[in-house]
Amino acid sequence: MLRNVVQRLLLAVPVLLGVLLVGFLLMQVVPNDPAVVRAGPTATQDVIEAIRRDLGLDQPLWIQFLIYLGRLLRGDLGVSIINNMPVIEELGNTIGPTLELMLASLIWSVPLGILLGTVGAYWRGRWPDRLVVAASVAGVSVPVFLLGLGLVWLLGFHWQLLPFTGRTGPLWTLEGIQGVILPAVTLGGVFVGPVARMTRSSVLDVLGADHVRTARAKGLTERAVVLRHALRNALIPVVTLIGLQIGFLLGGAVVVETIFSWPGIGRLAVGAILSSDAPMAQGTIIVLSAGFILINLVVDMLYAFLDPRIREAR
Amino acid sequence: MSNPVALTPEASPHAAFAVTARPSVVRFLLREPASAVALVVVVLLVLAALFAPWLAPTDPYAGDLANTLKAPGDGFLLGTDGQGRDMVTRLLFGLRMTLMMSLVAVVIGCGLGGLVGFAAAYYPRLSGLLMRLMDVLLSFPAILFGLALTAIVGPGLTAVLVALSIATIPLMARVVRGAAIVVLQQDYIEAARALGMGDARILTKYVLLNCLSPIFVFVTLRFGQVILLGSLLSFIGLGAQPPTAELGAMASDGRNFLFFAPHVSVLPSLLIFVVVLAFNVLGDGLRDALDPRMRR
Repeated sequence: MLRNVVQRLLLAVPVLLGVLLVGFLLMQVVPNDPAVVRAGPTATQDVIEAIRRDLGLDQPLWIQFLIYLGRLLRGDLGVSIINNMPVIEELGNTIGPTLELMLASLIWSVPLGILLGTVGAYWRGRWPDRLVVAASVAGVSVPVFLLGLGLVWLLGFHWQLLPFTGRTGPLWTLEGIQGVILPAVTLGGVFVGPVARMTRSSVLDVLGADHVRTARAKGLTERAVVLRHALRNALIPVVTLIGLQIGFLLGGAVVVETIFSWPGIGRLAVGAILSSDAPMAQGTIIVLSAGFILINLVVDMLYAFLDPRIREAR
Repeated sequence: MSNPVALTPEASPHAAFAVTARPSVVRFLLREPASAVALVVVVLLVLAALFAPWLAPTDPYAGDLANTLKAPGDGFLLGTDGQGRDMVTRLLFGLRMTLMMSLVAVVIGCGLGGLVGFAAAYYPRLSGLLMRLMDVLLSFPAILFGLALTAIVGPGLTAVLVALSIATIPLMARVVRGAAIVVLQQDYIEAARALGMGDARILTKYVLLNCLSPIFVFVTLRFGQVILLGSLLSFIGLGAQPPTAELGAMASDGRNFLFFAPHVSVLPSLLIFVVVLAFNVLGDGLRDALDPRMRR
């Protein structure tokens, strides 16, 4: 187990370096010369040259990359071209709200998806199953903005039930909870379908397994068979798949943050790209990529931890 | 070389999977009401997109400031947008652009992914390296490729196309490698080798043909996903730029009028939903039709 963890960690290192290299190259291809930007519009050529030396921009590219890595290690991601704020600070401010939004979406969509998937598998081929299958196909096909705009129009504007413009406060206050409902319903709404789909097929797989047949042969009720013997085993791949689908969820989060003016990292990234703020764009992309590498690592380990067969096979 | 009659795909135990040998696929699809509807919808939408320039009543880019934000039915079948452009026209051209964008991304991504998949299956020595590389690509979501590429080359359709293609490569590579490995273990491949056939010939003549079913299913399902991802990127402003008629960009443009002319953004969003749904249902139907093990 420990060897496995170390191996995974070692594999993640070159990937992370690759991401950083892409981030570094991103800064090379943008038209703005960082020295000119930092010096300001009135600087003389001498000042620009001095800054260029100062930033190490006169060095060969691979040395610049090493300098860049050194700065990253110290948490220095540069400053925004737009508002001169340190990138790392802005990132710190936006990660919280994004995690909040994703958590608030997962907390209701995953249980609902698992419930629907189990219901579908339990009544396989009958009308509840057909309903679940139809709903989950619709769920994986709906563009998240259709759901978001619809909810904004109906609950936010037409009935004026809930706020839809940004984070209204911390999650432990009533205003905060009201503010997160519509974004979380939107984002979670597109996640129910995939979870239900995965759960249904996973439970169906397990229902054909030997131990389930044994349980039936023992004379257990169908409910006990499905809930205690099938679902528990079926959830192992579902957990992994949910982990891997976090990427899908993040894609939705970028859109949801845009629709609801949610101050998260997705909205920050899009804003930075649209305003050609290269250091900020680079920072958001590095943080998001590192996040994915981490999620994949955790999911891999969780899988091995949950499923003894895999643990021993390795 | 003698005619390898005994080696044709039809004679193999794998023949059940060969698309070419199954005229019944369409019949099977049409028997399932959901797949039949999806097939008809896909065909109609593709035709509408193909013939958009002839079907559209007006010019998709010519505004009419005297007739902005007309509600559907008010002199215009589906109303007009913020520039007074006819929504029917915009939707037709938007569909055309969206389908074209997805087609290019799917063709490039599946082409390259297919090459990687076949190479990994046929040359086991390459397999480890190639598939590890695919795993790395797979660990990042498509939207992140979109963000990174638009950050480098600037927002626009090109960046989105490249991002969606890259995100498709590892998925296709996995599907193709999995299918090809099964085919390569068949006796007729060994026979073909024994007859002195070259790698390229074996790959195109036997392996590719016998892998067509899973490829068909994957491409259909992927097409829907790519449409969804592409319009997502356009919606947040990173894809097609205004005034280009593209469904995601149109939905985004309509947000400004959501409270007094919701049709401007709801109609393109709904159309995306219908297109993606049709491809997903069709893909599921194809899988049931082509893979007898999936039949209930």
